[in-house]
Amino acid sequence: MSAAREPLVRGEGLTRAFRRRAGLFGRGVPVMALRGVDVAVHRGEALGVVGESGCGKSTLGRVLLRLMPPTDGRVLFEGEDLAQQTASRLRVLRRRMQMVFQDPYGSLDPRRTVGAQIADGMVIHGLARGGEAREKVAALLRQVGLDPDHARRLPHEFSGGQRQRIAVARALATQPDFIVADEPVSALDVSIQAQVVNLLADLRAELGLALLFISHDLHVVRHLCDRVVVMYLGHVMEQGPAAELFRAPAHPYTRALLAATPSLRHRGGAANPLVGEVPSIAAPPSGCVFRTRCAMAQPRCAEGTPPLAPMPGAPARQLACHRAAELAP
Amino acid sequence: MRRIGLRALAVPGLISLAILLVAVAVPLLPLADPVRQDVANRLAGPSAAHWLGQDEYGRDVLSRILWGARVSLSVAFAATAVAAVIGTLLGILGGYFRGVVELATVRVAEIVLCFPPLLLALLVVTLLGPGAGTLIFSLSILFAPGFARVAYGETLSARALDYVTAQEALGAPTGRILVRTLLPNIAAPLIVQFSLTVASAMVLESGLSFLGLGVVPPSPSWGLMIRGARATMEQAPLLLAWPCLALTLTVLLLNLLCDRLRDALDPRGRAAGRPGFLRRVLALPAAAAPGASVPGLLAVEGLTLQVPGPAGPVQVVRDVGFSLAPGETLAIVGESGSGKTLTGLAIMGLLPPAVTPVAGRILFTGRDGSVRDLLRLPEREMRRLRGRDLSMIFQDPSSSLNPLVRIGVQVAESLRAHGVAEGVKGRVVALLRQVGLPDPERQAMAYPHEVSGGQRQRVMIAAAIANHPRLLLADEPTTALDVTVQAQILALLAALKRAEGVMGMVFVTHNLAVVADIADRAVVMYAGEVVEEGPVAELFAAPRHPYTAALIASMPEGEADRLTAIPGAVPQPWAMPAGCRFAPRCAMAMEACGATSPALAEIAPGRATRCLRWKEMA
Repeated sequence: MSAAREPLVRGEGLTRAFRRRAGLFGRGVPVMALRGVDVAVHRGEALGVVGESGCGKSTLGRVLLRLMPPTDGRVLFEGEDLAQQTASRLRVLRRRMQMVFQDPYGSLDPRRTVGAQIADGMVIHGLARGGEAREKVAALLRQVGLDPDHARRLPHEFSGGQRQRIAVARALATQPDFIVADEPVSALDVSIQAQVVNLLADLRAELGLALLFISHDLHVVRHLCDRVVVMYLGHVMEQGPAAELFRAPAHPYTRALLAATPSLRHRGGAANPLVGEVPSIAAPPSGCVFRTRCAMAQPRCAEGTPPLAPMPGAPARQLACHRAAELAP
Repeated sequence: MRRIGLRALAVPGLISLAILLVAVAVPLLPLADPVRQDVANRLAGPSAAHWLGQDEYGRDVLSRILWGARVSLSVAFAATAVAAVIGTLLGILGGYFRGVVELATVRVAEIVLCFPPLLLALLVVTLLGPGAGTLIFSLSILFAPGFARVAYGETLSARALDYVTAQEALGAPTGRILVRTLLPNIAAPLIVQFSLTVASAMVLESGLSFLGLGVVPPSPSWGLMIRGARATMEQAPLLLAWPCLALTLTVLLLNLLCDRLRDALDPRGRAAGRPGFLRRVLALPAAAAPGASVPGLLAVEGLTLQVPGPAGPVQVVRDVGFSLAPGETLAIVGESGSGKTLTGLAIMGLLPPAVTPVAGRILFTGRDGSVRDLLRLPEREMRRLRGRDLSMIFQDPSSSLNPLVRIGVQVAESLRAHGVAEGVKGRVVALLRQVGLPDPERQAMAYPHEVSGGQRQRVMIAAAIANHPRLLLADEPTTALDVTVQAQILALLAALKRAEGVMGMVFVTHNLAVVADIADRAVVMYAGEVVEEGPVAELFAAPRHPYTAALIASMPEGEADRLTAIPGAVPQPWAMPAGCRFAPRCAMAMEACGATSPALAEIAPGRATRCLRWKEMA
């Protein structure tokens, strides 16, 4: 693989277990939030991660940024294994990867001015301080569509959409190459969501950012992302170019997810709503984790976990399904 | 809220400050020497020279009380300050790093809590000999674990917050995160702990001095004064009263200060307003008696709701009106701040205490065919309607079910509350089956936490339809659910509507796509007003208000490269634009829009819009 094709961020076999305490003195059972996930984000690419609650999409984002270490597997940033870095080297790498959180009310410190919080990254990484930092903060505020004078205010003086812009400005302050955006618009009002989605799209085009966009809203992902990863109970079910995947979803779960998403265009609801709910992640089904809700499940689906493999007839797409051959377009 | 908190702080704060000032300024005051003896006048009563009398050695009691305050307060403050610094440090480190560090800091500090405090103090004083320094040392050991516990607990909850993670993501060094981000955000409970600890340190200091293990005589201290006065209690009882009074009042004052401080520092503030049964009838002008023949099930007319604001009352819902026929589903769509939820709560008579209805009426045709104005109905009658003729489903099924009561019992409650006594169990199981709960006989015995979020919402729906309500109000019932489960719940509601026939449904939501899915008609609200109304198909195909059109255009469903965003944000209720409330964000706004507030105009049967330029949208 040539250097140009080497992805900016690559996760290999990422597994993350949490311990859930059982009873007062229980040892705790491991809960697998991620199970052997492979993922790659290229320079300038927007990768969407979709799935329902408990599918591991937020954990994936945090593991890729090494805000939590993976239980197994490794994360490479420009080919460097993040686990092998010294604390000081990791801090240097952190300048280049940033995060935007879901809740714009919880992600800003309520007691410090917006300007100080945007300047944090620059001060920490020695990029600018004092008057120079203030100028850069003003420029960043302008870039995300806010008034530079707002730097002196506290977060509670802003609306949700404005706060999310501030959070984006804070992430941009260190001139990162890679941003993880964890449900950045789902806490916002409908009329504000479009503003923030447009802002992210513009910034990506302008700055050539790589973006990992985590969302449960398929419409937004379709609009913003080049490639999509569909997750269910810690596994990747399907991935591929956004346009193709949404036009012709292959995996039964992707199909069900798309069918369940309400739309202005078709009235009267989903034709065949998926039965049941996402099983508990502490006791996932054997074999294919989706089989308990899958309309196409067969006895063999209970036996082995289907590997994520290139889709027959569409090599750019990957599918984890025992009946992949029948699903190909 | 903030200002109320500060005003409540003023009285105890100022008195505490005065006491502190007196204690500091004692050497400058024209007082008698607190240690100069005058044995001739021992136990003398109050006189012009000695206002509070003289003690067993003839020393001036007033002077000794004030000098004693100086000693007691400085020991208490110094000990608390040392304890606060050590305890907070241990607590923050333990809470932030967890694991071994937690063991070495917080858990070790907790061992101190296992000793009876007085015994521990006795031990230290016996080892080191009495004196103010020893006192401070032993008191700070005693009180540090308290601070460690508070700091530890607060750090644990703060470190899970996104803004702390955000600092980690920025690559901030740990020390910076602890000092800049964590400490200021856990300071409030620590300050409260500080004033509480000063009070207990004063009591303990007096106790130890009383036992002869604290301040060394002849230095004045309240504990020593009590000790001295005890011997002569029968001849001069007042001598005992003065130091006791000083001690009690100071401790009470510090506790009061601490309570007020807690209120002032709590950002949630205190609940305000009148209890529910009083609020409904106040400020509401009498309305015309409901006409004998009101068509339909529900008619809301000119509903206006008001909340108190910093500069006078603010109308959060203004002149809202719509109607609902039996068997019809009406969606109220809007963003946060549109007033959609308050409108729904007004129908149910469940408005929060701060919100007062000031105009309008809500006419409801009950099961018996009589028409009543829900806005003016006494609470007692309202309660009889709620859960029987009117029922409601809330957004968050996990917080609207009682976690300690079995599911079946909660559904049964809604039946029993309205007089059903026979065959309740069978009815409950049938209801749970109707809402699609698998294995209803067994699930009826489950507790809410044992079933999933979607199942809990099914239980809520079962309880809501138990008495075959005439009107079902659903407030964002699927917002907290995953899309595949949302599809199931919407399908269930649609099936119920078909089964119940005459039941009308008001569906409050922010999601236009859900409206398209479930509703027959929709009312679009913006900034407390209805801006457009019409059948769902027409409304989405041919919106006649720029806000509705912009909302539809901003949905990321089309193939367009850029979404059409609505600039700006929803105006705050206390800063509403003068003319049309949407004008500042409207692409079609013209000069007249900023000047006059357009009326809701009927443009076709069942179709209305609040826009001056709607004709140009056709």
